[in-house]
Amino acid sequence: MKTPLPPIFQATYSLLLPDNFFALLRDRSSHFLNRLPSFAQAMVFILPLLLAVCFVPTAAYAQGAVLTPRQVTEYALTLEKLEADFYRRGVAAARNGGLAGAPQIAKDAIVSYGQDEASHVEQLSAVLPSLGGDPNAVTIPANPNYTAILGRDPFANPADFLLAGQYVEDLGVAAYKGQVQNLLAAGEAGKTVLAAALAIHSVEARHAAGVRFLRQALLGADVNPWISNNASSTEVIYNENRGGSPIPFSSDAFDGYATQDEVLALVEPILKGVQQPSATPQPSISPEPAATPQPSAIPQSAPSAQPIPSNGSGSPTPVRALW
Amino acid sequence: MKSQKALSASRRNLIKWGVWGFGGLMLATLPQVATAQSSRSSTLTFNANDVGILNFALLLEELEAAFYAAVADSGQITDSKEAEYVRVLGAQEAAHVTFLRSVLGEQTLFATEDLSFNQDGLNAILSDRDQILNTAVALEDVGVHAYNGAGPSLTNPTYLLAAGSIVSVEARHAAGVRALLGRPTTEPDRDRLVRDADLAAELNPFKGKAYDELYTPKQIVAIVASLNLINNPINGALVA
Repeated sequence: MKTPLPPIFQATYSLLLPDNFFALLRDRSSHFLNRLPSFAQAMVFILPLLLAVCFVPTAAYAQGAVLTPRQVTEYALTLEKLEADFYRRGVAAARNGGLAGAPQIAKDAIVSYGQDEASHVEQLSAVLPSLGGDPNAVTIPANPNYTAILGRDPFANPADFLLAGQYVEDLGVAAYKGQVQNLLAAGEAGKTVLAAALAIHSVEARHAAGVRFLRQALLGADVNPWISNNASSTEVIYNENRGGSPIPFSSDAFDGYATQDEVLALVEPILKGVQQPSATPQPSISPEPAATPQPSAIPQSAPSAQPIPSNGSGSPTPVRALW
Repeated sequence: MKSQKALSASRRNLIKWGVWGFGGLMLATLPQVATAQSSRSSTLTFNANDVGILNFALLLEELEAAFYAAVADSGQITDSKEAEYVRVLGAQEAAHVTFLRSVLGEQTLFATEDLSFNQDGLNAILSDRDQILNTAVALEDVGVHAYNGAGPSLTNPTYLLAAGSIVSVEARHAAGVRALLGRPTTEPDRDRLVRDADLAAELNPFKGKAYDELYTPKQIVAIVASLNLINNPINGALVA
């Protein structure tokens, strides 16, 4: 198991998977994927077979910046505060706002997921002092700029809220996954936070799956509870199909991760905040393309949350008459 | 590729469940095959290290993959969307099996053919759609709690990341099947098979609906045994 990667495999690997291989696949302006779907899909299964025999533990820490357990907890608390606030506004909009017409099953999910995120905030806040941190020092703006997620108000209608929710929850799953190696590296000092992070991580995945199911069942969206093979940047906003790992992240059977830098680059425009609550209907003349998250930390085809044209080919299925 | 995956799962099913796919009539005509299947139940011994954990995960993935393959062949899932979920979930579990086997290589503890599944236990589950989907939820939840529980014991960071990459997919499965049943997608406390008092305290700083608690391998073995699906005796330091 600890045999270094033989040169033949290194050569084979670089031949099969150039650095920008998945970027090419992900680039919707490219016809590469369309011409070679079976090749790309075959790679998903051939590569792990080639690479898995070459697991090299010493080269395994490849998850971005090294964070201490305290830093991971502060980072997670920031994201959880944002998520809890996002659902709090969703609940308000479901009561008497843009989400008032949503089916009860969707409203129930918004309430339930919001409760979970609020619990995460509460419990992570309770843990942080034992790590030397101060939960009150971890803040988000009074009015986060949620318009940055889609380029429009996500609380205006159920279809947009659920799409934004999918992006947020999938990103949350990837963000927690991106920190497990940091917590492991911290040894005993990281054990409690690692256990907590794992317990939260899969619940975020249940949320993500639930939101995806609602989009599929209620809106007829072409989406499943799981992330697709070679997921496009309209399905996930981070680099889900990361190459260069023995783990076949681009397969639908394996979820990808996101580093802190990547997540913060996506979240930063939201954290800048706005003067007015984003739940307030805004004049929808300018969709503010500048507010689109541009993950500078992610090279190649920035898998960002592009504002989706209402009738573009890559857009979600139009909202049914129900809504 | 998807059809290949489904075909592969179906072939696996024929191998593992022997004559199940042919129905009772064929069962009567091929007693020697059934006998051979049920008599082969070698003991599975899991060591308390990374290799033991990955082999233990492999056992759960094999169980899930075999379950979905049997469900697909049972014909009990007639709704097209539900059948599609069963097909994809089965293919994803099979992909996890392939991945874990390739990672373990020579350290793989058992071959697929070494596993002996309980036909009667399976037949009881395959009786109707609700029973099948509820069992799927239970198996997926067990998988989530098992991967979470094993995570802090892993020492190889790539293995931990791989476990994380898989466990969130299992959680998506559990949520998706719950949704098919018209139930909320998170795990309510009443569905949990290990009560608060029995949870390992050091592994569970957080408990409740908002958390997927960490179960020990020993607790997972007890749950799997209660499902009455695997004949192989299970032991070793990991599950002691």
